[in-house]
Amino acid sequence: MIETKLGEFEEVILLLTGILGEEAYAFRIAEEFESQTGRSVSIGAVHSTLTRLEEKGFLKSEMGKSTAERGGRRKRIYTITAYGKKTLTAARDFKQALWNQFPGFAIRMDGIIGFTG
Amino acid sequence: MTTPPKLPTRLLNSFLRGDLSEEVRGDLEEKFLLDLKTKSVFKAKLNFWYQTLHYLRPFAIKKLKRLRTMNNQLLENYFKISTRNISKHKMISFINVFSLAVGLAACVAIYSFVSDERSFDAFHSKNKNIYRLDEVQKFNGTNEQKVALSMPGMGPALKRDFPEVKNYVRLWLRGKQLITKNDTKHLIDNVIAADSTIFDVFDFPLIQGDINTCLDRPLTILLTESTALKFFKTTSDALNNTILWDGRDYEVTGILKDVPENSHIQFEALLSMVTYTSGENNVNNSWGGNWMTTYLLLESTANIKSMEEKFPAFLSKYMDDPDITTTYKLFLQPFNEVHLASNDIEHDYINYRKFNGSYLTIFYLIAGFILLIAAVNFMNLTTARASHRWKEIGVRKSVGAKKLQLFGQFIFESVMLASIALMVALLLDALLIPFLNDLIGRKLSILPLFQNGWQLTAVLVGTLMLGILTGVYPSFYMTSFDLSRILKGGNRVEGKSVLRSTLVVVQFGLAIAMMVSTLIVIQQLSFMKESDIGFDKDQMLLVNMNNEANEKFETIKKELQKQSMIRGVTASGQRLGNNFHQGGFKVKADTGVLSITPSNVNVDYDYLNVYGIEVKEGRGFSKDNLTDNGRAFVINESFAQELRLKETIGTKAGHDWYHNDSLGTIIGVVKDFNFNSLHYKVNTLAMVVHPEWGYQELSVKIEKGRTGEGIAAVKKVWDELVPSFPFDYTFLDAHFEEVYRSDKQMSAVVAIMAGLSILISCIGLFGLAAITIEKKTKEIGVRKVLGATEGQITVLLSRNFAMLIVIAFLIVSPITYYALHRWLESFAYRININLLLFVLGGALALVIGLLTISYHTLRSARSNPVKALRYE
Repeated sequence: MIETKLGEFEEVILLLTGILGEEAYAFRIAEEFESQTGRSVSIGAVHSTLTRLEEKGFLKSEMGKSTAERGGRRKRIYTITAYGKKTLTAARDFKQALWNQFPGFAIRMDGIIGFTG
Repeated sequence: MTTPPKLPTRLLNSFLRGDLSEEVRGDLEEKFLLDLKTKSVFKAKLNFWYQTLHYLRPFAIKKLKRLRTMNNQLLENYFKISTRNISKHKMISFINVFSLAVGLAACVAIYSFVSDERSFDAFHSKNKNIYRLDEVQKFNGTNEQKVALSMPGMGPALKRDFPEVKNYVRLWLRGKQLITKNDTKHLIDNVIAADSTIFDVFDFPLIQGDINTCLDRPLTILLTESTALKFFKTTSDALNNTILWDGRDYEVTGILKDVPENSHIQFEALLSMVTYTSGENNVNNSWGGNWMTTYLLLESTANIKSMEEKFPAFLSKYMDDPDITTTYKLFLQPFNEVHLASNDIEHDYINYRKFNGSYLTIFYLIAGFILLIAAVNFMNLTTARASHRWKEIGVRKSVGAKKLQLFGQFIFESVMLASIALMVALLLDALLIPFLNDLIGRKLSILPLFQNGWQLTAVLVGTLMLGILTGVYPSFYMTSFDLSRILKGGNRVEGKSVLRSTLVVVQFGLAIAMMVSTLIVIQQLSFMKESDIGFDKDQMLLVNMNNEANEKFETIKKELQKQSMIRGVTASGQRLGNNFHQGGFKVKADTGVLSITPSNVNVDYDYLNVYGIEVKEGRGFSKDNLTDNGRAFVINESFAQELRLKETIGTKAGHDWYHNDSLGTIIGVVKDFNFNSLHYKVNTLAMVVHPEWGYQELSVKIEKGRTGEGIAAVKKVWDELVPSFPFDYTFLDAHFEEVYRSDKQMSAVVAIMAGLSILISCIGLFGLAAITIEKKTKEIGVRKVLGATEGQITVLLSRNFAMLIVIAFLIVSPITYYALHRWLESFAYRININLLLFVLGGALALVIGLLTISYHTLRSARSNPVKALRYE
């Protein structure tokens, strides 16, 4: 059975894939991840997640055209499937629903800042 | 440089799935090129490695090849067959595992003992370049001796004169001292005066205080953490505070971590040596008397030999005695050898838990023997049982098993058994080491084995090797059978196995050797315990004395003598059980004044009576003779013989600072008594009564059976009369136990190991007998039918085994005799080896051996021949 829930990291990767569009291949996604989140990640970790997301049906991929750079080697370009988009939306809506039920957001923020400060 | 490094690329190719290769290599190269633009080449390469290693993920790795799966299946099959075999022959498997386990457990226990000993002093980072300055002293009229003491002037002078000497530190043992702070009083066990250079040489960690200056001033002291807490609430309170010792205030300038157990230098407090080197009596200029221990930190390039060659000139430079180079020879003892190789060194007071290192070699040997005996069991039982597995081997061969595969099966089996044995062994150790600790007074544990990676690996690899080595011979043996012969089955001629017999001989030889050795060692130790050492050491209570106790000595004595359970009270300057300090002595003979250096001891008038030391000539000390105070000497027989005077009694004599005109008189000669340990010959000795010098220890002889009462009585008197000093006692025989501790621990280990070796040998023999007698079932049946009696058959079956044990005995006896003879030579007073003990040991082995197999011999001798002869 394939796990269909979306982890935090998976969600971000999925979103980045969507953002990058034609440029969505493992290396670019990893670079984008680092620049957007400030967290470092290995290409292997991203690649592994991409493979998993493809297995779950959120992504599909095909090899791109060969280019002169990177020794003429082709890239594997990932694109989001309709199912992937649906899952992303569902995840966002779910969180939004949770946020709506959360009353003391502003107060809690103060509390946290006060606590850590 | 625009291509990624080769090695990680190759690595990547080796594990990466083929279909991913193109995209991944592309990605990684792009990353690398990007890194090159922004970072250093090194960092880019490093990152390339990082990225490569991060592809070691299940999704990206090549699927295992078919070959691997096949190997797994093979191993699985090995495993299955091995488990079946092990569980099918329960008794044999049990014997195999048990004997190996006992052997391994013994090895691990011995290893933890040895590594505990070897761990001594390892925490000093410069220990390879530290040497202890020792002396060989050859005084006139006394035995030559190696001592760990040196003169106070030597350290500083050596540093001045020898460029190789980077630094020196002198330790002056002040012993047990009473330290006070306001109302808090404590006897502190080991107070040592040390040069401020101690931290340049050693690595005793200082927790508080300035390591560079803490011992620079007179009247400063460093306390260990737990000592400081005896007087102060916290160590910070202690720092810069003062404590009182010997009537003077000492400033606490530092707190040391408690000295670890495995340090030969133990102390609770360090006094600054400057206290003694500043002012008028600067001990730095003191030559002639040896009362310090000097350690030198040398350059790593220093040539020890050439330094030692220069020492005679060095001595002559500082001391203008023409004989100085014959009376003293200096030598350097490597610091790492102090704990284990100082057994022939006397006056070695700073050497905690000194151990005879040559015993460690014996321990290793014994561990090896035990393991060998256990391995022999395995080999013998496996080969003897080979015929049971012929069919299995035959079938495997005819189905197409290669020799190597069969071989692998057997090796696998023995490795598996060895691994099980290891687990059992560790369990045994975990359970039994606490008992061993009780027996030999140690704190051994197998835990360090698991904390130390390479040690654990060594044990695992060792077990693996053991499995392989013990498996090799049986595997060769079993795979060498001819296929057709095996499958024919009927003709099970196996012939006598010479090798098997040899192994039994080896096994029993070792067991007998260890048994005989145990007997002799125990005999020697009990000889030392019970032999007449010339004085009475039982029931002798020793109490530490201070000035006040000395001042009130006569009153204390009188009070104590009133008690009914106290048989005698006396005092002395030094404790029995080690060598007494030697000092110059002169004797006025007809030919002139002889100068001699015997051991000296200051005693109370009735010392000889209380200790039961026999006077041979003349008389002992008496209070009634006024000149007996300081002007009368009682010497021992060795001294008298050394003097070779016509008339010893009445001869004028005295310490070498006495004026020739005011010498005292030798009033008596006592029979030699062993004031030193029995490892040493009795030295020449002069005793004198000198109450004003002060005594170190009060000796109270208590009636047997009333020890508790006696201690209480002495304490009561003491507490009343000597408020300034706590009652602190020990017993003389306990002190002697300590003196022979090394020997005792060795004998305990040898005895345990001897017991284990005979146990393992016997269970091996038991298994072997079961197998061989089972093979002879038919023969026995035929014999019985033809009229052989049970007795005849028992003899027939036992004869072979008995022969083996006898041969083992004959081979091993001379070797053991030689080894034991060598060991006994280390004692000046020793037993003669009684050959009867050898016979006893051999006979014991024979009887135990025959008893072991009697279960099988008798059973088969009594069995009904019909059963044996019936077919199928």
